[in-house]
Amino acid sequence: MSEQNEQPKKKSRRDFIQQIGILGVGSAIAGSAVWAGINYDKKKKAGDRIKVLTAENELLEIDKNDTTKIKKSKYDNLTLLQKEGRVGIPGKRWVMVVDLSKCKNARKCMSACQHAHHLRPEQHHINVLKMQESKNTPPFYMAKPCQHCDNPPCVAVCPVDATYKRPDGIVLIDNERCIGCRFCIAACPYSARVFHWTTPLNEEEDKDKVYNVELNVPQRKGTVSKCLFSADRLREGKMPYCVSACPNGVYYFGDENEDAVTNGTTKETVRFQKLLADNAGYRLMPELGTNPRVYYLPPKNKSYPFQEGDKSEAEEHLDNNNG
Amino acid sequence: MLRKYIHSKTTLAFLFTALVCLQSFAQDWDIPANKKSKNSYFPFTKETIEDGEGLFLKNCQSCHGNLGKDNSLKSLKPTPPDLAGAKTQERTDGDLFYIITTGRLIMPSFKTIIAEEDRWDLVSYIRSLNKKYIQVLSKNDPSKSKLVVVKMSFDSLSYKLRVDVKANEKEGVIALKDAEVFLFAERYFGRLQIDSTHHTNNDGVAFFSFPKDLPGDKNGNINLVVTVGDEVYGEIEAAKSLKIGVPTDKPSLTEKRAIWNTVTKAPIWLMLTYTLILLGVGAFLLYIVFSLMKIKKLGKE
Repeated sequence: MSEQNEQPKKKSRRDFIQQIGILGVGSAIAGSAVWAGINYDKKKKAGDRIKVLTAENELLEIDKNDTTKIKKSKYDNLTLLQKEGRVGIPGKRWVMVVDLSKCKNARKCMSACQHAHHLRPEQHHINVLKMQESKNTPPFYMAKPCQHCDNPPCVAVCPVDATYKRPDGIVLIDNERCIGCRFCIAACPYSARVFHWTTPLNEEEDKDKVYNVELNVPQRKGTVSKCLFSADRLREGKMPYCVSACPNGVYYFGDENEDAVTNGTTKETVRFQKLLADNAGYRLMPELGTNPRVYYLPPKNKSYPFQEGDKSEAEEHLDNNNG
Repeated sequence: MLRKYIHSKTTLAFLFTALVCLQSFAQDWDIPANKKSKNSYFPFTKETIEDGEGLFLKNCQSCHGNLGKDNSLKSLKPTPPDLAGAKTQERTDGDLFYIITTGRLIMPSFKTIIAEEDRWDLVSYIRSLNKKYIQVLSKNDPSKSKLVVVKMSFDSLSYKLRVDVKANEKEGVIALKDAEVFLFAERYFGRLQIDSTHHTNNDGVAFFSFPKDLPGDKNGNINLVVTVGDEVYGEIEAAKSLKIGVPTDKPSLTEKRAIWNTVTKAPIWLMLTYTLILLGVGAFLLYIVFSLMKIKKLGKE
């Protein structure tokens, strides 16, 4: 054995053939690999390329593997209107002032509102109430929209984030999210919300409209609807439907940050804080700590007498109120 | 002597009260003579009537009703007249223009809402059904208003805004004397009048005292508008943004943590309690599973 090992290794024919064989198989494998690669590329051109539309509206064809999925945010599924409706108008804090001394129960605010939001005559986003607080105090007319509280109890109880408060102060409801549980109706101390028990008005005509969360149109059966401070009008720089419709100058609307409110009838702009200070402005049910964004000026020196026919309706409240 | 004095005093007081009463009961407009004779500087045409009709439907129709239909809102007091009626048509163009401009009682003032030219368009529409009407044109040259230059400057010491009104005539610069000057700050829904209406002095200058507490934008900028009304030069408007307001950058109303806010802005105590309860229940379940395993093990032994 040791002798054989000591012999210098001589290349035999067998070795040579073996080497040629390895080389041949190797190059065949390499060749087929290259061939497969080319084939793969060709195949890719047909099937694995996709067409994409860029933000600039350009149609491109790219490799499927080159795409990365963008992580979807919570609100991507909502329409643009709904997204806009969540953000509101930056830098604003809307306020409304209702001057009760000027209300003549014309009820133009109610009809303008119902017309805009496609409500039935018995459904009110805003309602002119006949009020009497005690036996010895005089009755008066009081317009009552949603108070758009800064500490809204209705929003706190919503289990599905359908009703929400916006940075500009408006409390809105998204009828696409609302499940109709009516917790918010129970929570609201101002009875500002309505429920669609039956098919809403104009349902047929509104069928193809895109839902606008700032208008609540089209309305949906089995959901809650409420005053929206006409968020769609504010976006256009116009005052709410009710405010512009009033013939008696009852409503002022404006931005608290600008310290200015504009009368819907006379279009006169005044300082907000001064208006409240000069006329003893107040808010409804301040003891609840809801911080409404609707302010009232007391019914002092009423320009219109309370009508005889409305007196019985106003007195209805008295029994519950211990006279 | 004293008695006589007292007597004359009571008579005066009585007269004054009577006058005030008369004034408040007076059903008619009190229109100054120089406003009465004011006329439009452009002729009323089909176009002006059409423009006027659009404005009428938007601003007047809700109370005055349609022209000649006698369907004004009768529930209002005083009742708004049908504007095609004889009583309105007997008035001069200047009267109508003044009434639209200033308003009275329940009729709003359109001074800051409808521009001067558009108010004349309204007059032309109100005249459109009157066949007897012949227009009298104003002798004033409307192009003169373009010669007027309005300058605004603010004195931070006295907090007064100085408004200079001058006209660049061929003969040289002329100061507008005794012109009516209004100062407004632009707000979201309209213009807020600052101070009261002033008239320019002999140098064409008017001073307005500016409130120290008027909010501006983030940097305190306020867009100011000055309107000048002059007999000869007509109505001139100038705007300028000045850094004289209180810088206002209040946080949004959903900034604070609150129980009604979104999940990420829930109160800390709520988040803590919720997490603790979840962890507690989880730990308890784990403890049960662990105990069961222990029992099983004991059973095998």
